[in-house]
Amino acid sequence: MALPIETGQPGVIVIGETEPKDELSSPWNVIVHNDPINLMSYVTMVFMRVFGYPRPRAETLMLEVHQKGRSLVWSGGRERAELYVHQLHSYQLLATMEKSEA
Amino acid sequence: MIDLRVQPLDEKRILISGIPSVLAAMLRELPEILELRDSPDARARLYPNPTAGSDNINREWHQLAGPELRHLFVSAGETLTRDLTALTADKENGDAWQVAFPIEHVPAWMNALNQARLILGEVHKIDEAEMNRTDFDPQSPKHMAALRIHLLGYLLHLFVELDSAHEPGKHV
Repeated sequence: MALPIETGQPGVIVIGETEPKDELSSPWNVIVHNDPINLMSYVTMVFMRVFGYPRPRAETLMLEVHQKGRSLVWSGGRERAELYVHQLHSYQLLATMEKSEA
Repeated sequence: MIDLRVQPLDEKRILISGIPSVLAAMLRELPEILELRDSPDARARLYPNPTAGSDNINREWHQLAGPELRHLFVSAGETLTRDLTALTADKENGDAWQVAFPIEHVPAWMNALNQARLILGEVHKIDEAEMNRTDFDPQSPKHMAALRIHLLGYLLHLFVELDSAHEPGKHV
């Protein structure tokens, strides 16, 4: 996320980053958590729509959520992870993001 | 016998037909249920934290993403509520009901149906065990909430099936 930073020079503003560069470049994991209400067919559909996954992969991830309580559904840059979490929340799935330890 | 169907009526409209009276009554209650989206329990579920432990990210997230999500949820509920005014008797299916609405409203219907299910789940503290219940006591608000969640879920599932019919290699 970029923020304008005052430079002290009249008329000069640079666009800075709120996080150190290594934090932006480190991979982030998007996790989907199980809940008792969302339908299995609905969760599968959401994975296909949001990530463009083929049905077999979407179903495998959905079953992992259902059976293990959570599933790592995507890993990559922070901004993309934020976008995916936002989309998953718009479909009312319980999704979080966490920095990868790898 | 329930012959509930969600199918294209023509190129521009979707028809839900064969809606049993009990489900029609539940659909009419949806606007009232959706009004509970701002209750503390429902808010926590509909607007979850994006991280497990970063207060800063969570706070910033709710400031930035919260209003947009709420707008989406409210808008979906309003669309469904408007469409439901066209709920009429389904003369071909006994005492069932039917409703037709523009095909572009399908995402709003799916969103609002799922919202209502989640809100009922939070308000009535429905857990996995309650969702697996097969006997429902009409006197129990919790049991009736679980039954509503299942019936609305069945309708939502029909929308999901309609969506999957458009996958490559499948035909409507």
